[in-house]
Amino acid sequence: MKSVFGLLALFVLSGPALSDDITVRVTDSAGEPVAHAVVSLPGELPAQPQDVVYEMAQDHLQFDPFVLVVPRGAEVVFPNRDRVRHHVYSFARGNAFELELYGREQERTVVFDADGNVPIGCNIHDDMIAFIRVVDTPHAAVTNADGIAVISATAGPVTVWHPYANAADNQVVLEAPVGGAELAVTLDLHGQR
Amino acid sequence: MIRHILSASLLIAACCSGAIAQSHPPHAVPGELEVDPYIASDANAGAAPIEDPAVFAAFGGEAGIARVVDGLLERVQQDERIEGIFRASDWPRLRRTLIEQFCYLLGGPCHYTGRDMASVHRDHGITTREFNALVENLQDAMDAEGIPFAMQNRLLARLAPMHRDVVTR
Repeated sequence: MKSVFGLLALFVLSGPALSDDITVRVTDSAGEPVAHAVVSLPGELPAQPQDVVYEMAQDHLQFDPFVLVVPRGAEVVFPNRDRVRHHVYSFARGNAFELELYGREQERTVVFDADGNVPIGCNIHDDMIAFIRVVDTPHAAVTNADGIAVISATAGPVTVWHPYANAADNQVVLEAPVGGAELAVTLDLHGQR
Repeated sequence: MIRHILSASLLIAACCSGAIAQSHPPHAVPGELEVDPYIASDANAGAAPIEDPAVFAAFGGEAGIARVVDGLLERVQQDERIEGIFRASDWPRLRRTLIEQFCYLLGGPCHYTGRDMASVHRDHGITTREFNALVENLQDAMDAEGIPFAMQNRLLARLAPMHRDVVTR
C-alpha cells in the first residue's frame, strides 16, 4: 500500500523520465528499509503551478499517505473517507490551516505557499499524524516500502528528510553519485509510523 | 414467551457461568450498512429500563416512541450545531437502534441490539455543547408529541449519565 503512494509521488513530481535518474536507497541503522523519506535534488519550479492536485486522505482514522511531498504552490485535497468528521490542522509557519471535514466529505483543498515542513494533526483523533513537505524543486519523491526513491535529476546535493530522523532539521545532505550509481543512505530514526 | 425464555437463560447465565446466553440478533438488518461484529445485549443500551408502566404509556407505546425518534432525527438534520456529525451516518440503522433503545429504557417490550454508547460515540469527538444540543432537539420532539414534562424527565434522567461515554472532548 505504502509503495503505491511512493510510486505515485514519484510519477507526479518527477515529470518526464530522463535517461539519467538517481536511485536512492534509504535504510535505518539496523539495515531495514525506510519508507516515507523525502529525497530531493535542487531544480527550478515551473513559473506556473502544475495542474496537479495532491491528496492527503483520512481513512480508518489515519492520514494517508503518512508523508506527502509537494512543490511550493501546490493544491492538496483532503478527502475524508471515514464516516466520522475530522478536524485537520497545522500550525506550520506560512502554511497554517484548519479544516473541519465532515464524514465522507471529499472536496476541501488547501494551497501550500511556503517551503518547509507541515506537520498535520486532527483535533478529534490524537493518533492521526502526517507530514506534508513543501519543496522548491520539481525533483523530489518519497521512498517506498523498500526504502527506494528514483529521482529524474543528477546534479546537485541530494537531501534526504524523514520526520523522525535524528539529524539537524531531520535531514542529511549528500553528494549526488556519479554515473547513475545507486546512492545508499542510512538514517537514524526515533519512532516509527 | 420469548422474553421468558430470555430471562430464564439470563438467569442461568447469571447463576452458572460468565457465558452470554442471549441470542445475537443480526448486527445490521437489510437496508443498513455492514457493521463490525459485536455482542448484542440490552446492557449496551447504557441504563436500566424504567419499571413504572405509566411512562411507556405516556410516550404512546412503540408507535409514539417511533414518532419521537423521527421528530428528533428531523430536528438534528436541520440543526447546524450538530448535523455535520450525522452527515455520513447510516440513518436507517440510527433510527432503528434509537427506537429500540428508547423503547427498552422506557420499559417497553423491546430489546436493544445496537452497540454500547462508548463504542458508537468514541470516534466522533463529541463536545458537551453538542451533547446538549441533541438533548434540546429531543425535548422539542417530545414536546411536539405532547408528552408531559415529568414523563420526559424520566427518560432524560436515564440518558443524562450517558454523557460520560458520549462526550470525549
